[in-house]
Amino acid sequence: MVDNGLIALSAGLAVGITGLATALAQRDIASAAIGAMTENENLFGKGLILTVIPETIVIFGLVVAILLWLNM
Amino acid sequence: MLLPEPMSRILVIGAKKRLPDTIDLLYNLENVHVIDYQGDEEGFTLGAPLPEASEASRKLLKLRSAERYLEISSDSFEGKISESKIKSDLDDNIARIEEEVDLAIETKNAKQAKLSEAENRLSQLEPYRTIPLDIEMYWGYNNLRVLAGNIRSNPEQALKESLNGYYEIFTSKDGSFVVLFVSSKYTESAQRILSDSGFTEVPLPTGSGLPSIAAAELDKEIQNLKDELEFTSKEIGVLNEKYASMILSSDEYLSNIVEMAELPLRMGTSAYTFILEAWVPTSSYENVASAFSEKFGDAVYLELIENRGREEYHTDEYEIEMESGMTTVEAESISIKDDPPVRLEHGRNTGRFEFFTKLLSTPRYNEIDPTITIAIFFPMFFGLMVGDVGYAIPFLILGALGLRMCTTPEWRGIATMLFYGGIWSVFFGLFLYGDMMGIEFTHAAHAKNLVSGWETATWSSLLGIEIPHHLFTIPGINFDVNLGYATKLGSVQILLYGSLWVGIAHLITGLAIGFYNLTIRHGIKIAIMEKLSWILIMAGFACLLPVVIDVLVLENDAALSLTNMLLLAAIGLFVIGLLLALKGEGGKVLIDLPEVVSNVLSYTRLIAIGMSKAGMALAFNYISIGLIAGIGMENVEPTTDIVMLIAALAIFTVGHLMIFILAILSSGLHGIRLQYVELFKKFYEGGGVDFNPLKIRRKYTVEE
Repeated sequence: MVDNGLIALSAGLAVGITGLATALAQRDIASAAIGAMTENENLFGKGLILTVIPETIVIFGLVVAILLWLNM
Repeated sequence: MLLPEPMSRILVIGAKKRLPDTIDLLYNLENVHVIDYQGDEEGFTLGAPLPEASEASRKLLKLRSAERYLEISSDSFEGKISESKIKSDLDDNIARIEEEVDLAIETKNAKQAKLSEAENRLSQLEPYRTIPLDIEMYWGYNNLRVLAGNIRSNPEQALKESLNGYYEIFTSKDGSFVVLFVSSKYTESAQRILSDSGFTEVPLPTGSGLPSIAAAELDKEIQNLKDELEFTSKEIGVLNEKYASMILSSDEYLSNIVEMAELPLRMGTSAYTFILEAWVPTSSYENVASAFSEKFGDAVYLELIENRGREEYHTDEYEIEMESGMTTVEAESISIKDDPPVRLEHGRNTGRFEFFTKLLSTPRYNEIDPTITIAIFFPMFFGLMVGDVGYAIPFLILGALGLRMCTTPEWRGIATMLFYGGIWSVFFGLFLYGDMMGIEFTHAAHAKNLVSGWETATWSSLLGIEIPHHLFTIPGINFDVNLGYATKLGSVQILLYGSLWVGIAHLITGLAIGFYNLTIRHGIKIAIMEKLSWILIMAGFACLLPVVIDVLVLENDAALSLTNMLLLAAIGLFVIGLLLALKGEGGKVLIDLPEVVSNVLSYTRLIAIGMSKAGMALAFNYISIGLIAGIGMENVEPTTDIVMLIAALAIFTVGHLMIFILAILSSGLHGIRLQYVELFKKFYEGGGVDFNPLKIRRKYTVEE
């Protein structure tokens, strides 16, 4: 039987690290998107889409964490 | 209709002397989208503006400059003005405005210039204020140099040592400024010493008398000028009020005249004739044609060139262009440029979601307008993620207020999301989750105690009333309607599993629309290879999903045997789909293949986000209701201390307000993202041109 503490820790790491990864990716994309938007406001929709694409990473992290939590 | 309105291309040819009347008619029809003349007819060149354009532009220029100086904005407008009144008063008004505004502006500028000059002089004099020498004393020496400037340390000691007394120094009261009179032959050594003390030279004062007195006079002058300027600004404000409505309405009137008079710039003309191509909605072609024949008889010729269908025949052009060295992108953009303009038609409810479509891009002429899918799925997903009656009711109220009061498209878009999302949130909150503020109405059968030592509160237990869990049974299909079937934190597995199915359904919808788009564009064969193939792959994945769950979650290895029909169906569908896709799109299919899994997994956010909010809500509820108010805790009596109850209420309110705001942000963003990224990628191209008919725009004027 695996220690519950270890599972909790892993779940935390799964969310935390993927969160950081998403943040890093979004930092670059969002600043570029804002730059593009100042040139042409119509790009808001496209900018928004590009910016939220890395969010999938943290969602996967969250799902992994949930699956781990269910095994506790 | 799901597709944009059908369009027809027309050609208008007439004698030049009919041109002004033709332009009038085109503007009155309000249904004609002009195609800019490309210069491709022999004997025709781009037209020149009608003669009234230059006069109107000149007047417009004057008005615009007055508008800028008077800082007129659309807020200062009151009461529309009739066009005939504007027309009759225009010249007088412009002359009057020119005179009065020019005068006011000139006075203002002159005073401004004087003021900045006086301020300049004052700043020059400022350092000399505390030095008791007349300004004349600084000038007119043959054998003396005068050095004045700021210093950082006192140079007197060093000067005394090296200049043998051939100098006189004056220091300002605070010691940061010196004036040094020094014999010409010692200038160099004096400069060296001064620069050692951090000397920066400033120009010598000009004028006469004591600097302190001159500076005081300047102070007074500046104050006077400032008062006068304020007065002038007030005068300008009065002018603004007096003329704002007139200027704005005249501006609009003249702009319309200029726009109409410049329409020939978009036509082709020869010495005596003009030629114009345009799009009109097919449904109103008859109206347009009869309006022309009524007004001009046979004098202006109108021809229907084509009723544009949805198919695309650019393969031939395409190949020619590819051979001539153009890239695919250039060739594509040419075919889009020839597309008819797009007019979307919606009912009132769906129309409110048009903002979200246009936020991305206007649809093309030959593809299904995705507004309807946004209108269905976006609020539904928003509701699934919020899924809480307690947050949904404020959403509904805010959304309804917003739709009533907001005018800017952005705020209207947000209000639309809140209102329709709120409706779905109430629905899911009541019937799927049975939740209000993260507290269930009653405990569903599978709810469990999520915090040890605290019996999770329910509205039933908090309010002390009996709330029935089972509401009623739908007769016929025998379906029990309950207050909640699942809890966000208690039935995670089944909810996650459900969210995958929502994803599959959503994606197949997108692929089906893509299939239809390709069918009307390129025919059914290509559509089958490029879209039906993916539908089959997706269906194969759908068959595989229960098998995977069986093996991984329920640990039933028997599901993997080849007698399992689902597994066989999955493999069959997958292989057929893959072969079709490979034939249609080539090797890049293999790169896209993993997307099937990642796209579907992406929909787990529907539950993950709802869960994360439920988790936060549980924490705040536990702190406020459990820990502080002591309700439902083991071995603790509920508190009766009024201070504690207020503290509990405060934490409850602040916590839920925070979740409420996060709910708007994350549910809204993720809801729309699932449409834009996952769904639209399956079918949507976008890049169409909005239908923009010739039309006189009236905001400040009324027609007679």
